[in-house]
Amino acid sequence: MSPKRFASLPERLLRAGVSPRRIGRLLGEIEAHFDDLVTELQASGLSRAESEARAEERLGSEDALVADVMARPELRSWARRWPWAAFVVFPLVGFALLFVASILAMAGAVGLWDHVLGIAPMNSRGLRVVCETFVLIALWVAPLGAAGVACLLAAHRRTPVVWPIVGCVLVALVGAMTNAGFQFRAIAPHGMLNAGIGFPIRGVLGSLRVAATLVTILVPFLWSVLPRVRRERAGQAPQAPRQALE
Amino acid sequence: MSGIPELVVLRLLAAREMYGYELARTIRETTSEALSLGEGVLYPALHAMESRGLLRTRSRAVAGRTRVYYAITPRGRRRLEVLRGEWRRIAGGVEAVLAGT
Repeated sequence: MSPKRFASLPERLLRAGVSPRRIGRLLGEIEAHFDDLVTELQASGLSRAESEARAEERLGSEDALVADVMARPELRSWARRWPWAAFVVFPLVGFALLFVASILAMAGAVGLWDHVLGIAPMNSRGLRVVCETFVLIALWVAPLGAAGVACLLAAHRRTPVVWPIVGCVLVALVGAMTNAGFQFRAIAPHGMLNAGIGFPIRGVLGSLRVAATLVTILVPFLWSVLPRVRRERAGQAPQAPRQALE
Repeated sequence: MSGIPELVVLRLLAAREMYGYELARTIRETTSEALSLGEGVLYPALHAMESRGLLRTRSRAVAGRTRVYYAITPRGRRRLEVLRGEWRRIAGGVEAVLAGT
């Protein structure tokens, strides 16, 4: 196993559930170890080529390394150990936080116009644009963002596709159940903010919001990961034999 | 017998902190190459022990290269004592069998 052959190791370790950060450190350490072995062997009188060949032998095979990593559950990333949390719960919580933050920002903007700038909200076209933007973020962008981050993370970490699919569908459905808006009034109080969640999803707009998340996030995600899944199922990426150190 | 690499690593790191290559070389030299393993698989073992809180790491730049040094933790020392006790019990048992044959 020499650095030249490390090219396939990150992909195999990702599939084994190791986090990209740990893979980077592991590869750095093994590369440094290889260099140290070559230096040691060259100092003992071997040629560069002989030293590299002996260093490869001493490091052992890539299969053995991958098998050893797979035999150690503690080396798996938290996202692989608790995929339901990483790809279902976190996107839902992320969506909820984005939604609430947008509503709070909208309330803050109205307060700024009314109490600080002294402009009646009813008469401000700029405030209407700001409020409409925050409503757009809460109702349309927040579910896309939450589902998108989950799918990107899942694709990057070679996660089994089922959890991101569940997470994406749930975020799309919950996102479509929410509503938010601001009604301006000429007299005090100068407006009424409303936000909530309700079941079932109503109307064409609700269906459109579900479709927006699924089409813009889930479909590209599946498009990008399904070829890999098919390759794995066809056995093009065989699992290494279990040869654990311990 | 499955804890031998862990026992050896913890014992050597209890003496002083080391980086991976240094540790592999020390294992080779100390055991007169009696313990033979692919040196690459030392790293998953070290990472796993670190995850379990038995070891801690720190990075240090040495001669233009970043080395990851491993050191034993208090939990690692307690684990070392457990493994040492198990090893002595097993070794004593085997010795008793060999002496009786």
